[in-house]
Amino acid sequence: MTETNVADKPKTQFKVKDYKSDTKPIWCPGCGDFGVLASLYQALAKLNLPSHEVAIISGIGCSSRLPGYVATYGFNAVHGRILPIATGVKMASPEITVIGTGGDGDGFSIGMGHVPHAARRNVDMTYIVMDNEIYGLTKGQLSPTAHVGDVTKTSAYGSIERPVEPVDLMINVGASFVARANAGDPKQMADLIVQAIQHKGFAFIDALSPCRTFRGIEQKKFINANTFKVEDHDHDPSDKRKALDIADSQEGISTGLLYVEERPPYDELYKDLRDRATQKPVPEIQDILQRYIP
Amino acid sequence: MAKMLIKGNEAIVKGALLAGCEAYFGYPITPASEIAEAASVYFPEVGGTFLQAESEVGAINMVYGAAGAGQRVMTASSSPGISLKQEGVSYIAGSELPAVIVDIMRGGPGLGNIAPEQSDYNQVVKGGGHGNYKTIALAPNSAQEMCDLTMLAFELADKYRNPVYVVADGFIGQMMEPVEFPKPNRNIPEKPWAVKGTAETSDNLISSIELDPDDLEEHNRKMQRKYQEMRESEVRYQAYHCDDAEIILIGFGIVSRVIQSAVDELRAQGVKVGMLRPITLFPFPSDVIRQYTDQVSKFWVMELNNGQMVDDVRLAVENRVPVKFHGRMGGNVVGTDEIIEKVLEEESA
Repeated sequence: MTETNVADKPKTQFKVKDYKSDTKPIWCPGCGDFGVLASLYQALAKLNLPSHEVAIISGIGCSSRLPGYVATYGFNAVHGRILPIATGVKMASPEITVIGTGGDGDGFSIGMGHVPHAARRNVDMTYIVMDNEIYGLTKGQLSPTAHVGDVTKTSAYGSIERPVEPVDLMINVGASFVARANAGDPKQMADLIVQAIQHKGFAFIDALSPCRTFRGIEQKKFINANTFKVEDHDHDPSDKRKALDIADSQEGISTGLLYVEERPPYDELYKDLRDRATQKPVPEIQDILQRYIP
Repeated sequence: MAKMLIKGNEAIVKGALLAGCEAYFGYPITPASEIAEAASVYFPEVGGTFLQAESEVGAINMVYGAAGAGQRVMTASSSPGISLKQEGVSYIAGSELPAVIVDIMRGGPGLGNIAPEQSDYNQVVKGGGHGNYKTIALAPNSAQEMCDLTMLAFELADKYRNPVYVVADGFIGQMMEPVEFPKPNRNIPEKPWAVKGTAETSDNLISSIELDPDDLEEHNRKMQRKYQEMRESEVRYQAYHCDDAEIILIGFGIVSRVIQSAVDELRAQGVKVGMLRPITLFPFPSDVIRQYTDQVSKFWVMELNNGQMVDDVRLAVENRVPVKFHGRMGGNVVGTDEIIEKVLEEESA
């Protein structure tokens, strides 16, 4: 990245308003995504990241409108393709803070093919899924995180599909930072976003973000009544088995940092690979053929 | 059956069921979602299958599977979703399987918007995916035709063992109109080639692979003969006041409804215009259009895109008379006054 703006770099303390774009959110009143957006502003301000050093990549869906509301670089991209596009951005500009934001349908239905690969590669990015268990933008169809029995516009007789469990999934496919947070608890959400951005590697946050329009007030009430914080339970996030246990806790929906692992991120590993390749170039064709000459 | 006020998208589902469609696989997308929604209600009711796939790619491959097993099967989507399905459509065409794909076109390119366009003409009519294949493309211009042409689509798909598109702009999908539903027509032919899990079909193989160059060329030639047969037998169009027309306006989908009004008004003003509406976009009514070149001074082609069908009109006209084009994009629809103005402006020039 060019350092042309060195003059305005030192010691500026950015505030929340510095990250707000001129576009006002058009989410429905009561949408959980407002909470996630507010927390993201807070987190960016706390980390004091210059807005031109952040890129927010989204897919398609209500929550994927988010980059338009943040005055950073942004890319409202292709449905389900947040992670490959974010990987491209990160590989092109490793010094940029890359954040992916999208919904449960975008990530865990049409985008599911990409999820394990970004996670296992440990692409250094933060992936926030605003999980409302419904397709909101297309007006109320069944989502992959909806529960058995849920009646939606495409499950008139009740869903018969076992839902995707985002947190379990992400721990198992190799995400090195996995958290869950309630959009209605902006402090917790902002703290986790800060930690996720600071984490070197693939950081996933399952943001419980209720949909007032298609899930009613009940969804929000359920989340508020049934979430608990793992900090209150002496949880050791470095222990994968304990992380999976608390992810599926019978006591309710666990929130907080569930799992974290220190592992070199993809861009660093790739830099090493490139260094090795530069020092020891690919053998000449003659050298290869030499091996077959008896 | 009595008339029913119904959305074009819902009429498609009713038509599919009247044609004996047994399975629907789809993914939510505006402005086609009502098709999946109605399918989720009605298919289970009549003993059929409805499954909301994990993606457009998932949906078209489920269609591939069910078609291979001999079922009447369909999917529906809108422009960006159709782009995603193209690989699967190519495999279905290559494997010579019947399937119905509905495209409720919206604004593009990229995400575009959810307003009506006709910008998928090329990707639907010209093949779209990889390889030398063609798909029949039926273009309804009313809720009634959404039902009727969907029924026809299943028939043609089975007849030619080929994917058939029902391709409508978002307007036709979203518009509510009275529809009279015909009697069920479930003339499903024998499918001895299907893989049904029975002893009789155990030697059947569904595949699009032909590793030997000569075999693949022969397979392609066979398919080309099939497409030629479609050109000879399946052309459908509507001619409105064309018999004595000096100018013919050509349009499909919602545009044809607007053109029809403009023709009436222009005729009232003494201008001898007519409308020709291709109902099959492939096979295209090229011969019909060419016949009118002896009679008319020019053609006008109006589309909700940058000029895609106009290429086929020009190929048909072979430069014998001028072919003028007027298109709107982004979800804007040509108006009656706009058409009249275009035609008169040209005549007074």
